[in-house]
Amino acid sequence: MSATATPPRPRRRTPSAAAQPSLVLGHGRLPRVLAGTALGVLAAVWLLPFVWAVATSLQSEQDAASPGLSPVKGALTGQAYRQILERGNVTVWAFNSLLIAGLVTLITVAVSTLAAYGFSRGAFRGRRALLAATVAAILVPPQLLVVPLFRQMVLFNLVDTYAAVILPQVVAPMMVFILKRFFDAVPRELEDAARIDGASEFRVFLSIVLPLSRPIVAAVAIFVFIGAWNNFMWPFIVTNDPGLMTLPVGLATVKDAFGIQYAQSMASALLAALPLIVVFLFFQRRIVDSVATTGLGGS
Amino acid sequence: MITRFPAPPPEAAPGAAPGLTRRRLLRNGTAAAGALLAAAPLSGCASSAAADNSALSVWDLFQGGDGMLMDDMIKAVSRGPRGFDVERTILDWGPSYYTKLAMSAAGGRASDVAIMHLSRLAGYAPGGLLDPFDLDLLAEFGVTRRDFLPGVWARTQHAGTVYAVPLDVHPFIVFYDEDIADKAGLLDSEGELAEMGSPEALLDAGRKLAEATGQKGILFGHVTDTAQNWRQFAALYAQTGASFTLPDGGPPQIDVDAAIRVVTFMQRLFDGRTNPNNLDYYGSIAGFTGGRGGMAMLGGWELRTLKQSKIRLGAARFPQVFEKPAVYADSHSFVLPHQKNPDPARRREAHRYIAAIVKQSLTWAAAGHIPAYQPVIAERRYAALDPQSSYADAAEVAVLDPPNWFAGAGSNFQNRMCQPLQSALLGNTSAEKAVRQMVREADTLLRQPNPVA
Amino acid sequence: MTTTAPPGADAVTAPAGDRPGRPRGIGRGRTGKGPGLVFVLPFLLVFALFLVWPVVHGLWLSLTDSSLALRDTTFVGFDNYAEAFGDPDVWSSLGNTVVFTAASSVPLVLIALGMALLVHSGLAGQWVWRLAFFAPYLLPVTVVTLIWTWLYQPEVGLANQFLDALGLGPVGWLSDEAVAMWAIAALTVWWTVGFNFLLYLAALQSLPASSYEAAALDGAGAWRRLWSVTLPQLRRTTVLVAMLQILASLKVFDQIYILTKGGPNGSTRPVLEYVYDVGFTGYRLGYASAVSYLFFALVIVVSLVQLRLFRQED
Repeated sequence: MSATATPPRPRRRTPSAAAQPSLVLGHGRLPRVLAGTALGVLAAVWLLPFVWAVATSLQSEQDAASPGLSPVKGALTGQAYRQILERGNVTVWAFNSLLIAGLVTLITVAVSTLAAYGFSRGAFRGRRALLAATVAAILVPPQLLVVPLFRQMVLFNLVDTYAAVILPQVVAPMMVFILKRFFDAVPRELEDAARIDGASEFRVFLSIVLPLSRPIVAAVAIFVFIGAWNNFMWPFIVTNDPGLMTLPVGLATVKDAFGIQYAQSMASALLAALPLIVVFLFFQRRIVDSVATTGLGGS
Repeated sequence: MITRFPAPPPEAAPGAAPGLTRRRLLRNGTAAAGALLAAAPLSGCASSAAADNSALSVWDLFQGGDGMLMDDMIKAVSRGPRGFDVERTILDWGPSYYTKLAMSAAGGRASDVAIMHLSRLAGYAPGGLLDPFDLDLLAEFGVTRRDFLPGVWARTQHAGTVYAVPLDVHPFIVFYDEDIADKAGLLDSEGELAEMGSPEALLDAGRKLAEATGQKGILFGHVTDTAQNWRQFAALYAQTGASFTLPDGGPPQIDVDAAIRVVTFMQRLFDGRTNPNNLDYYGSIAGFTGGRGGMAMLGGWELRTLKQSKIRLGAARFPQVFEKPAVYADSHSFVLPHQKNPDPARRREAHRYIAAIVKQSLTWAAAGHIPAYQPVIAERRYAALDPQSSYADAAEVAVLDPPNWFAGAGSNFQNRMCQPLQSALLGNTSAEKAVRQMVREADTLLRQPNPVA
Repeated sequence: MTTTAPPGADAVTAPAGDRPGRPRGIGRGRTGKGPGLVFVLPFLLVFALFLVWPVVHGLWLSLTDSSLALRDTTFVGFDNYAEAFGDPDVWSSLGNTVVFTAASSVPLVLIALGMALLVHSGLAGQWVWRLAFFAPYLLPVTVVTLIWTWLYQPEVGLANQFLDALGLGPVGWLSDEAVAMWAIAALTVWWTVGFNFLLYLAALQSLPASSYEAAALDGAGAWRRLWSVTLPQLRRTTVLVAMLQILASLKVFDQIYILTKGGPNGSTRPVLEYVYDVGFTGYRLGYASAVSYLFFALVIVVSLVQLRLFRQED
């Protein structure tokens, strides 16, 4: 694990205090020990549920359901994982999650960057009004639209289709706004030069603006992907066919003939958790950055 | 959510439950890729994901013992050259199941077959959320109305059209410890629980059972449960002969005096001394299997759980204490959720499947349910089932929830009826106040505009 | 965006206190070449279809008796709103929502701040801390609820085993009306605190080292530095994080629906679940829309109050 982790580094141009721990904690021993202990305890508390889940998932059902404070109550076994994978539900849902989150990200990023650039540079009529509407829409909590959206999907005959899960998720006014502010800060000179050379507007966007904006686009993409991967309420409402469900929806909705079995339920939880945790281990800094930049609206 | 203690795990399930298959994954993949490559509007994959599926999709809400038995039945009908190709989906019992069922029907791409409590039919059939059965087709596969009890069959219809085929009748009954009941002198000459016939007789039986166990007499778990109190009340109320109807717009037609009589009796029965008044559902099961009471009032579906204990298990239909024989029950029935463009061949297959499963219901009886399909009841092998055959006649006097869109198994209605009853049993309110509260709650529900009418 | 990611993720849909518009360097009168409406059209299309339409359609539905069942809809005027105002379940679910928001937001801000301060102190093992605190945020809600259902399991779950080891009796974490909401808030803190933690960490890392150097020269101890240098500079971030958190917590649905379905006895049911319950379980889409719009009004008021406060803060 440690091989893939990136060492922390100061992220901003401004000199950071984190680079010099002594600036924060001083030179005394006591603050360091206290801070270290507090941090250790907090991290242990935060990791405990994972540890407990992993241990349970590696037990037989009988052992998992027997009382005791130790998470390991019997011999270790991979039986729970084997049964989950044999049943195949989790695989189908993981595929759906990947497909849906991937398409949502792709479409959202494409639609939003284009729109943001149009809003930033465009000179068409109604630009300000449309932009104002977009910004106002940031205030609308999407969860409050589930009833009319479901109604709409019935009308379009789209309930229980991928399209119904994906399409409403690609409207991201906040992302348009973040991208627009980024484009606003990009100097126009390069674009103008290309325009004078006769490049089309689309070409200017693709070959000049986009390459300059790679970090912010990546940040937006990561943020959208995490959101779509973990989204529950809308996919839950619009899919009833278990073959179309995403991981969180399938795991919450579809039950097992035997009833609740804890080793298996931990095993499926961990299998479902795995993809994003692995991605995080590889792209830790990118993900941290994207949350920090997009989380506060790019400020 | 089920917070039930884990059922004993199965032996490494050979030929695991029919779930989503690898085939399904491939199909989803092609659907998705097709939509992408063709750059077609995404709705292009709308039909492909669900329709070109050859397997019959079947929804139910059976977990634990019931769930495994249903697996066995599906396996049994899947064998052979004319065996079915079934994709079974199990959802959580209760409101979450019924919500999904309604939403899938409203969306038009519902499963081919689903299980529904017959008491819920009034919330589905009038709203167009179910498709009607083709009785000729059913007859072709050997199932007709004559194969069911008239009282049960009557509840399968809306406006004269049949929307459900019952699989079982599952009554609210009493289980007892044969040794203790014998010691208490409650058994008849054939070793079965003797008839009660009056409120005093049941009260007396409770006292004798308590003496025999040295602890408590009759156990009934109701605290925080969202149905138990209603089952108990509905059974006793029906025995008074009074009617309970729920006309849209209100007020509910309830005989308040009869209801007060019933609740007062329940308070006397569960006085907190002879028979405890503060048990929850699993507490009553644990108490009964642990020998801390001689009798338990439970659904017949707990049979399998109780059989695992060491006690000699007896069962009887819910004792008649008032004027009329009546037992509270419901029925797991098969329905055809509404599909926008049903494929006639699949519909035919669905009829054939339901007929085949109903004929398998001797297996289902192992769970404590009474098969609805009467030819199975007539079989000698059913008569040999102990203690199931002791309460088979409960189906003949079965009383279901009053038909209304908001009533039925797992409904908000039952939950709201249970709250005042629970207060009454816990001694927090009087019988009369509890009944008035029930009337008010029912009235509130009836005043809501009926969304399926 | 129609994501219902962990509450923290809703940050993106919340106002960030920025004044919209006013692009730099582009005069409004400038009519030279530039991208046309075409660039904005795809967005406008999905925006109109999946945001404007449902907003307008929902408003219309709230004035009808629209049903999930397949039948005709009739206009009923403000009946649904009148009913909602007199519906005790609307008020109790609003109350539950407020309780959850308070019970989750306070620790979600304070613990995140504590974590960020500790990690920022520069102790070794940075990536371990980040992973430990942020990883739960990456879990889909169902993974979280599966794990915590197990921890809260009444007979053999870790929480009650732990109490047992201390000689204490078991607690009905999800079945006791007095406890369930707090148990859910605790789970939510564990799940989403990592998001706020990262926001704080980013803010801390952008603090100029010079202020610390000055304090160090003054001979201020670690404690003094925290109170007089670090915390005052985090004021703006704290207001922002708290704002985002409150808006996110108000919209709780997922974990409560999966864990308790709003029970025991309605004691944890938030208003969004009530919308789901009356709209889908109870078929009454019209009435559910009316309840949605009442809640929407509340969310807008909270947002605007917050924006105002934030501007004053500036």
